[in-house]
Amino acid sequence: MRRWWSLVWPPVVAVLFFLIVWQLCTSLFHIEDWILPSPADIAKQTAEGGGDLWGHALATVRLTLEGFIIGTLVGLVLALILHLIPFLKSALYPLLILSQNIPTIALAPLLMIWFGFGLLPKLIVITLVCFFPVAVATMGGLKQTDRMMLNYMRMIGANKSQIFAKLELPHALPSIFSGIKIAATYSVMGAVIAEWIGADKGIGYYMMLQKAGYRTDRMFVAIMLIVALSLLMFGLIALLEKWLVRWKPKQES
Amino acid sequence: MTISEQARVEDRSIPSQPELPPALEAAGISKAFRAKRSSLKVLDDITLTVNKGEFVSIVGPSGSGKSTLFHIIGGLVKPDAGTVRMNGKDVTGEQGHISYMPQQPALFPWRTIEDNVLLSQEVQGRVDQEARENARYWLDKVGLGGFEKAHPHTLSGGMQQRAAFLRALLSPQELMCLDEPFSALDALTRSDMQRWLLNLWEESRRSVLFITHNIEEALLLSNRIYVFSGRPASVLQVVDVPFPRPRREDIIEHPDFIQLRRELSGWMRDEQQKMQGHRPLK
Repeated sequence: MRRWWSLVWPPVVAVLFFLIVWQLCTSLFHIEDWILPSPADIAKQTAEGGGDLWGHALATVRLTLEGFIIGTLVGLVLALILHLIPFLKSALYPLLILSQNIPTIALAPLLMIWFGFGLLPKLIVITLVCFFPVAVATMGGLKQTDRMMLNYMRMIGANKSQIFAKLELPHALPSIFSGIKIAATYSVMGAVIAEWIGADKGIGYYMMLQKAGYRTDRMFVAIMLIVALSLLMFGLIALLEKWLVRWKPKQES
Repeated sequence: MTISEQARVEDRSIPSQPELPPALEAAGISKAFRAKRSSLKVLDDITLTVNKGEFVSIVGPSGSGKSTLFHIIGGLVKPDAGTVRMNGKDVTGEQGHISYMPQQPALFPWRTIEDNVLLSQEVQGRVDQEARENARYWLDKVGLGGFEKAHPHTLSGGMQQRAAFLRALLSPQELMCLDEPFSALDALTRSDMQRWLLNLWEESRRSVLFITHNIEEALLLSNRIYVFSGRPASVLQVVDVPFPRPRREDIIEHPDFIQLRRELSGWMRDEQQKMQGHRPLK
């Protein structure tokens, strides 16, 4: 408990200090609200939930979760297929990397044109940002199976599916999770971008509206919500990992 | 029938019956590894036999290709020439006929000790309640009682090695291949483990092929010792170890034991020197 506290207090103090300086600056230098709102204003706006804030937030949460789950599954399945068929891996791996070089901002409007303003193009955007870290981490983890254990499994006559289920998959689990954690934070960003470009609800849409009305304070509220949502997603996956990878020796850092 | 019962039944059939085919016959095994242009010969015409219920050791300088021989016996690597026969059947290049204990314990960190010990049975077929009870009986017997549900990283090196040995012992295959199982342990733990293995083996009398470069270890445990030359490895000497069983640890002070050890050490030293002489200067 004491240890936990000693880890937590320095960043908490740093954040508090930063907020206080911010608050003092805005009031001392008489900065206009629409340029930079003070932390107190932002807190007030959050509490009021103006402009159906929570309705939009809920829509984003739903979209994020749906996209994240689909994106992660696509990443996992793709990694398994490429792992099992080396030829496909050598053929498609460069294309996978290419898919990450296309700017989402450029691709999203095209997807809207092709698939309309419904759910599908948004899910595609999130999937595109989510599947890559999961696929790369999973393939890496599956490839780095311990040679010694692999030899052992072969010597005692384990077949391919036994080697996969009893050795390769559990061995890759920690690295799969590091990919999923990245995907979890990316999924929020993907959802917001998708909403930004074409939606009638969600935090991304809310931001567009508030920007048009110069409601800088509400834009900060939106940013805060996005950060909180990203952290929440990350935390949930970290918890899931802790539960699934209980066997891992604790690393002293 | 549990393995302990099996062991008791087999006990009566010792010394090994000549009419039964040997647990392992490796005949004329040769192997070279090819790089781009050069070829490195590691095994040269190796022939060795492990009869049922025999403990056979291979000693040789390190880097002489002993582990490669194990990989060939285990079907991981195909020999360039020669055959591997088990119980009279040609199994060259086939996997799954031996029970194996590698140099490092190679326990699966996500499995509990009990599940680790049962792994090879799981791969070979199914694990039922009886197998679990048998595993617990043996875990208790080797001093791992109470650690059934522990994960490997919580155990000391010696305990992990005992669990790895148990995993090999509880495998359904007849022949156990142990590849320098104690080389990663400190001297004290090592001599503990030797004594432990000696007692356990004399009780279970499985057919064992044991790789080591520790001469004392080989003499203490084996019925027969194959001395390997340096690379490319060939069988230099075959030594029948005459000491009666059950052996006690104090035979290492017996004059005959000391004499044999001196002889073996001499051969080994010569081979090691030859290997170093051949090593190309860089």
